[in-house]
Amino acid sequence: MAMGRVKTKLEKGGEMVAYSESALRNNAAIVEYCRTSMAAISGGTAGLLGFTGFYGFGFYVFAVLGLWALLMMQVGSQWKKYFINRRTILTNGFFGGLFTYILFWTFIYGMVHVY
Amino acid sequence: MASSYYRAITFLGLFSLLHAAYSAAQHRSYLRITGQEFTSLPSDIIIQGIISLFLTMYGVIHIAGEFKEIRATVELESRTWETQKNLPSFYIFNHRGKALSPTYMPEYRSNGSS
Repeated sequence: MAMGRVKTKLEKGGEMVAYSESALRNNAAIVEYCRTSMAAISGGTAGLLGFTGFYGFGFYVFAVLGLWALLMMQVGSQWKKYFINRRTILTNGFFGGLFTYILFWTFIYGMVHVY
Repeated sequence: MASSYYRAITFLGLFSLLHAAYSAAQHRSYLRITGQEFTSLPSDIIIQGIISLFLTMYGVIHIAGEFKEIRATVELESRTWETQKNLPSFYIFNHRGKALSPTYMPEYRSNGSS
């Protein structure tokens, strides 16, 4: 019978909770997709707004927080149904997204403000 | 159709971003022609940029897909007993039910005494 693999985790109260591996991976892939798009789009926005130096990095942190808030708004109060940990969504792939962000930031900045 | 609605939102946000970029480029060229020094963009371009950024992010999050429940038992809860007990390896086709068929011919078998 086609059943996804199961991952277990011991809760605080000594209760074992079983998580479906395929559902976890599906959710992580969706978050990754959102994060990559967010890095590209916010990099473009930072470029067109003409941020330089630390203002740009500050804007990246602002965009990451904004994406996290939007994700939390979408899943609502029942985030425990979809994610094991809420904080890992915020911090996972922070630097990987930062490189995409810098790429688009410098590119759009050059397009709009230099030429 | 919900998906095309969010797709439209994403494209609207991207178009608005493009428009903001074009406005910023226009502003820069205006400053260059009039010989003024660049300090910062006008606030309407900044506001348009940030709003369209969030609009696009909102659209992308909804396009990306539906989240699945991660508890393993959820998948099993929707399954009925009829599906669970259906084991193809244990199917039997040669059983006494064939005696109910109208075309059934019982094969003669001696009792082994003769």
